[in-house]
Amino acid sequence: MNRIPESVDCRCPLADGSVLTLSASRRPRAGRAEVKCLVPGDVRLAERMQQVLRLARLTEAGFDSRDQVVLSLDRRPPEGERGWELAAVLADRTVRGLLRPQATPVANGWSDAWERGRVDGNTLGTTAAGGALLGGAGGLPHLGLLSGHADPSAAVSTARAWFPLHSGDAGSLAWVEVSVHPLAGHGGQETLEEEQTIAAPDQDAARQLAVRQVLAGARHYDGRALGRWRSVVRFGAEAFAGRSWELALVMADRLARGREFVPRGRLIASGCSGAWHAGRVDEVDGLAPKCALLLREAGPGDRILLPRAWQEGLPEGYTEQLRAQGASVACVERIGII
Amino acid sequence: MLGFFKRAAPAADACELGRTVVALALPAGSAPPSGCQAVVVGSDGRTRRLQAARRVEARPGETVYGFHPGPYTVDLVPFETAPEIGLRTSFAIDAPDPQASQQRFDLYLAAEVSGRLALAALAAAIEGALRHELATGGLELPPCTTLEEWNAFRQGLNQLLYMRFGVTVDDCVPVDLGESRDYAHELAERAARLAEPRLADAPEHGEPAALGAPAVRFDPAPEDARALRRLFLELPCLMCGLRLAAMPAAQESFQRQQALLQRLDLVSVGVNAMPALELAAPGQPLGQDAQLRRARHSRRACVSLDEAWALLARLRQAGEAALPQLYGEAERIVANLEADCEGRRAVTVAAEGETE
Repeated sequence: MNRIPESVDCRCPLADGSVLTLSASRRPRAGRAEVKCLVPGDVRLAERMQQVLRLARLTEAGFDSRDQVVLSLDRRPPEGERGWELAAVLADRTVRGLLRPQATPVANGWSDAWERGRVDGNTLGTTAAGGALLGGAGGLPHLGLLSGHADPSAAVSTARAWFPLHSGDAGSLAWVEVSVHPLAGHGGQETLEEEQTIAAPDQDAARQLAVRQVLAGARHYDGRALGRWRSVVRFGAEAFAGRSWELALVMADRLARGREFVPRGRLIASGCSGAWHAGRVDEVDGLAPKCALLLREAGPGDRILLPRAWQEGLPEGYTEQLRAQGASVACVERIGII
Repeated sequence: MLGFFKRAAPAADACELGRTVVALALPAGSAPPSGCQAVVVGSDGRTRRLQAARRVEARPGETVYGFHPGPYTVDLVPFETAPEIGLRTSFAIDAPDPQASQQRFDLYLAAEVSGRLALAALAAAIEGALRHELATGGLELPPCTTLEEWNAFRQGLNQLLYMRFGVTVDDCVPVDLGESRDYAHELAERAARLAEPRLADAPEHGEPAALGAPAVRFDPAPEDARALRRLFLELPCLMCGLRLAAMPAAQESFQRQQALLQRLDLVSVGVNAMPALELAAPGQPLGQDAQLRRARHSRRACVSLDEAWALLARLRQAGEAALPQLYGEAERIVANLEADCEGRRAVTVAAEGETE
């Protein structure tokens, strides 16, 4: 079982190059306010911080009034600096167990609509931020995207799915993101090929072609997907080879187009297919290391999809172990319901 | 003129019963439409069924509802961000359970319906309850659902809808809603709508006052009255359900159940003695913003109430092994209820004046 940490540190790089540290801790409420914020020498900023956290909490499903979260900044940020907002929200969620604890999250982002979970931008601009989570388009435009969910109020539907990478003993999860824009009706050009509407920027030609073929094939199987969308596919920063990302891509696409049940947490999938137009899921390599990796990474609400051929090869008691962590696993032969 | 030989007039709108309207308040002296049953709801929330009545007879202060047992079929969309996949659900209001002292559907009518229950309103309420359970993990409907997972979901859904609304699910199948809802079209409309106000007024940076403006006007007095009525009527039934749901065998579980019941009892007593919304003290009016805060607390208490019904549904089908986890959840819900009732009673917000 993953233990919820009692206290969490979160860092926020600022535009002037310095780093702000936020510390969140959780304690019994004992009749106090549910959020308490401390900023050295600035009461008004502490009030603003409390308001940000309260607004961001409106996007959460459940509520527990028994805990108080105390959040403090290590120093007073420069006047007008708002990049700490995202870091504060992440720290508040991590300390209550709603997000998986990382070593030390690094984030910068602000929003005018925390109550919708939107993240409007960050204050770093184009300055390089090594590995920091940046708010806004191109980074994290919506809090739900942390677990791959689309923003229910945005005009572009974006969903993410994760796939396991393995190299020797070490491994990690990489993500693939699909954004779908409604395709404006082209009066005369009805013959637009589905593959031409799919773009995968920053990928080499071979992978672009693979992405297009996989998505077009899977959309043929869907039946109600052709000629309606303009799609952009992005991958995380990790380098990878092989074809086991295909199932994750197809599932992210189905989630983005609103034609699949939505998992409570992340969707983690490994699988490829020689016949996406028939919706079939074929076997991939690396059963043992991937299963071990998934067991380490899976958190509450996560949904793991594996090829049907792996069903017999799963370690003893694997499903039960995952269930104890709050995740669920299914070995599927075909995409779609049941 | 004596009313003995007058023909009972059918209620207006009554022919929609069983189609777009589930239940309707009948005027005194009218006849329950054919195929419908009648429930009398007193002003104190007590209900009784009128058995085979030719004509509606109500005492002063009572409302008579006629409802059609159905079946009704609705399309539920379980996920907000997946509008093209739905659950075609047909449900009915079953014959009364002879063991229950009060039918759950009658309680639903008494506590939450005023005058008329349209099918669309009931479907929206059912959809809201389903979405909340899916979001909190009470029900699981993951992508590529397997057959066992689907069966578990169906059982959970049946139990949830019976405990929460008193309706019985006959059938529920996943359907492709693609022919009635076009997600691409909806997104394009949303884009057009988002583009408009941007031009009109540029968003001001760092202006938090504009953020909290609610889209729908929240009128404190009626909201608060509705919420308190629900709490007043439903809390005793919830406690009764919790007592009946499971008799824990383990000593520790039993003690937790007893502690929960005791706390719920105190909450219930507190609800019965809740101060008036608009008074800070006898004869002293309360400010508008404080009234708004109080009403928000009572509405949040109703969210806890919904969660408690859903939890009761899970308790009914849980084995002894799952009890500790469910009691943990129950403790969270009861703590939230206590906090919100406390907030509803308070005159001012608890000050941040802690010295630690």
